[in-house]
Amino acid sequence: MVKINYKKCGYCGACVGVCEQLAINLIEHIIEIDIEKCNNCNMCVIVCPLNALEGE
Amino acid sequence: MMRELNDTYDVVVIGAGPGGCMASYASAKNGAKTLLIEKSQEIGEPVRCAEAIPSIEEFGIKPKPEFVRNIIKGGILFSPSGKKVIVTQDKAQGYVVERKIFDKYLAIRAAKAGSKVAVKTTAIGLEKDGDYWNVIVEFLGEEYCIKTKIVIAADGVESNIAEYAGLKAKKKPLEICSCAEYEMANVKLLDKNMMEFYFGNEISPGGYVWIFPKGDTANVGLGVRDRKKKAIDYLEDFIENGMAKDRLKEATPIEFKVGGAPVSGPIEKTYTDGVLVVGDAAGQISPLTGGGINLAMDCGLISGEVASKAIKVNNWSEKILKEYEDRWKEKHYEYLMNHLKYRKILEKMSDDELDALAEALGESLDGIDLKKFVKRIITKKPSLLKYFKDLL
Repeated sequence: MVKINYKKCGYCGACVGVCEQLAINLIEHIIEIDIEKCNNCNMCVIVCPLNALEGE
Repeated sequence: MMRELNDTYDVVVIGAGPGGCMASYASAKNGAKTLLIEKSQEIGEPVRCAEAIPSIEEFGIKPKPEFVRNIIKGGILFSPSGKKVIVTQDKAQGYVVERKIFDKYLAIRAAKAGSKVAVKTTAIGLEKDGDYWNVIVEFLGEEYCIKTKIVIAADGVESNIAEYAGLKAKKKPLEICSCAEYEMANVKLLDKNMMEFYFGNEISPGGYVWIFPKGDTANVGLGVRDRKKKAIDYLEDFIENGMAKDRLKEATPIEFKVGGAPVSGPIEKTYTDGVLVVGDAAGQISPLTGGGINLAMDCGLISGEVASKAIKVNNWSEKILKEYEDRWKEKHYEYLMNHLKYRKILEKMSDDELDALAEALGESLDGIDLKKFVKRIITKKPSLLKYFKDLL
């Protein structure tokens, strides 16, 4: 599963915008990834402006 | 619990950005029982934006000193080698606003028109319940179910609500422009009323760098669409080594902002039974400039009008709500699709070709329509014609 580095995250929501599995939610300032839904496509890793997401 | 969550509504608007606030305003003003929900505890925060807006007077909103930080008279565009092209007409004029204050002002305006507002309330689900929708929200760790006839999804680039309702709103990574920005003090501007734009495949592939004057500060940021390097790394590079480095030497950040701008044009369909999609969630943002505040506001306004009208005739089926898409497309579709075309042309050009383009255009873009534009290319840089001939 994609790992989130909360210290790098700027909570912009770009990762949610590309997640076709609807696995990511931005709850106020906190990104939550549903491991049941995530299929490791890594689209969120590419779009993150801050390198806060790390793929497998 | 917040008493706003313990009620049923005609219209629930999700997201209190400029689009959602205008939607709630129009909906409530026209008599629909309206709730505006915002997941942040502060409306207008976090800011993800360069904060430039062409015009707000058209909405009957006065540009008040409480949120206007700068009057903008135009833009200076820099080609990769530094050739300048100036533009001062139409949407190049406007304001740089303090979004935190501006969005809050718009939310208060909606509340004064009769809309209820719920803050720190996140929509986490949407369920069909006969002719109604149940919006599942979370507030302070508790779940609530809010029954409504119509949902307006103004939930931004991270929209899941449209998808929950069966509409296609998700983007590919390179359809979203990844943006990073420092708001800085001590920036030496070229002109305190002109925005600066820097283009080039080395400094910001798939986007551009901006320096927007903002009163005592300036927004220094960029957007990129790139697999190799992150927006933040391009930004640090530009500040340290870019064309404006001498004017940024004394500059220091007072705020950090990041964002994703969905620049692939509007989504396929922006309405369904009891649901309308507005703003970034609907892709109502210029694919060329990333500007979307006034588009979101105008489409938001239309959505609120159509929703309240549907409530009045007691029919909120997609047949009635289609009027929303007809009306916003009539006003903005051509503009959005043209900007998408121009962006796709620009991103094919090498830095040398961008320089040649700037040279062919001359010092000013003012008074140039598409015909004149292509004529300048034909006479001055015919080698570039291959990119533009399809526009004719």
